Amino acid sequence: MQPSKSALKTVNTEVKLGPLTLRNPVITASGTYGFGEEYAPLCPVERLGGITLKGITPEPRLGNPVPRLAETPSGLLNSVGLENPGLKEFMTTYLPKVRKLPTAAIANISGFCVEDYIHMARSLRKESGLAAIEVNISCPNVKHGGMHFGTDPASAEQVIAAVKAETDLPVIAKLSPNVTSIVAMAQAAARGGADIISLINTLLGMSIDIEKQRPVLANVMGGLSGPAVRPVAVRMVWEVAQAVGIPIIGMGGILSWEDAVEFLLAGASAVSIGTGNFVNPLAPLRVIEGIEEYCLRHGVSAVSELTGLAWKEN
Amino acid sequence: MLLEDAKIVAHEIMGDPESGMRRLVLRSEIAAEALPGQFVQLKVSTGLDPLLRRPISIAGVDQDKKEITLLYRLKGKGTKMLAQAKIGNVLNLLGPLGHGFTVPQNGTLYLVAGGIGAFPLLPLAQEAVKKGLEVCLCWGGENQGFFESAGLHLWQALGIDIQVSTMDGSMGIRGNVLDILNNYEFAKTAQVAVCGPMVMMAAVNEFFVKTDFVVEASLEERMGCGVGACLGCVCTLQDEQGKLRRGKVCKDGPVFKAKEVVWNAAL
Repeated sequence: MQPSKSALKTVNTEVKLGPLTLRNPVITASGTYGFGEEYAPLCPVERLGGITLKGITPEPRLGNPVPRLAETPSGLLNSVGLENPGLKEFMTTYLPKVRKLPTAAIANISGFCVEDYIHMARSLRKESGLAAIEVNISCPNVKHGGMHFGTDPASAEQVIAAVKAETDLPVIAKLSPNVTSIVAMAQAAARGGADIISLINTLLGMSIDIEKQRPVLANVMGGLSGPAVRPVAVRMVWEVAQAVGIPIIGMGGILSWEDAVEFLLAGASAVSIGTGNFVNPLAPLRVIEGIEEYCLRHGVSAVSELTGLAWKEN
Repeated sequence: MLLEDAKIVAHEIMGDPESGMRRLVLRSEIAAEALPGQFVQLKVSTGLDPLLRRPISIAGVDQDKKEITLLYRLKGKGTKMLAQAKIGNVLNLLGPLGHGFTVPQNGTLYLVAGGIGAFPLLPLAQEAVKKGLEVCLCWGGENQGFFESAGLHLWQALGIDIQVSTMDGSMGIRGNVLDILNNYEFAKTAQVAVCGPMVMMAAVNEFFVKTDFVVEASLEERMGCGVGACLGCVCTLQDEQGKLRRGKVCKDGPVFKAKEVVWNAAL
């Protein structure tokens, strides 16, 4: 770690999200960082607070046809459709490498019914070497791809409770923004026993090629990410943080440290960088460095003190 | 794989300005690592729109000068913004990326190009010529003006056999690149590298099925990360037992064995 210019004091970057402790608050988001290998030549993994792995399902999936991506102003629509090697292949081929990653590795699981989630949670326990499980109840790109669990509070509570019962790892509920009340969903996840809430997943959107007069994405609709969604994400973190007592991982269009600080002030204890990695593979490092410098400048001795400062009473 | 700010040492219009062809030369450490068929992801602006980097194939490498050449055609918002970049400016580059062409050790190398699909074949041709291989380019384009703007002179400088076709008959054979292949006398053993529109590459693969030639094809797809992390740019591949799998165009490709590619994939 580089000494600060003033060198008057250092900042404690460690954050505790319930049972999950991270060396710093910057994580990479699921589906944007593979299984942790792809960006390793560019961005030193040991500097990251954690990596959230590509989402897995019980069985392998080929995912959706191409085009899977469509660029929009300051944003990206994607419809990958949960392409993944399946639980078995993940355990045998990828997990041995994931265990060696010098950072907290967070698995991400998606299912089509409660039993799918239970099946995966049973295999993903502390002895697997993972730091936590993120439960994706919010994939917009697959028919009944968890989205059902992500829009109905009772279903969300049920699936989180089921995962919680099967694993001794910290459980993160990843929420969809495609709901009427994000607070109701967060409260449901909390009732289900979630240790942490992460938000937001992508916003459902679409784009039309006006020359071909057809949707750009093969799957017609996709999830919008990138700076375009950031104000929506900040608002949702703000609302959830004040309504629910469990720690939050905030995400949605973070490219710079300023963006990340906004999420922390809104009430997040950690942040995730997703699409930002594609723009600048060094974004996570720059965000970590920037948050530290921000703390020094504001006389804040621990990053964790930033959480919710925008609404907390002094 | 490097991430660097590369200085522009040349940036010029090629041929007829109406054709929208550009030649961009960057001083880059990537030159020391780049292999034929690889590409770079280039940030065309420091702003957020367009958000993503642009994948552009490497069309030339000068290791001594530490320079890479990119040839591109103005098409969308990204390339139009890129065209504004001036000599002396820096552009942020990520590369070299992907799995490139196999450079044959001996025999004949046939290069089959459709339109600007010729660009990524150029470093392969240079490498093969350096090795003393027999190299032939079969290149289909719209008209004579296209070839004059798309760097035909760069190919002519290699002293290789060049066969062209044009849709309007203004140069070479009238028709498409398949019409060249249908009238061509091939060596007994050879390797083929193809790059162009998907339908064209599918037809070229079909054409060579009856030969023993290894055919490699360079695919194109909308890319996100460029390093295999986001799964945005996949193609469908098939092994000898017919089992389907996905290939990442940015990481496993862009160059694939043509016989493994499912050309009509709609799944």
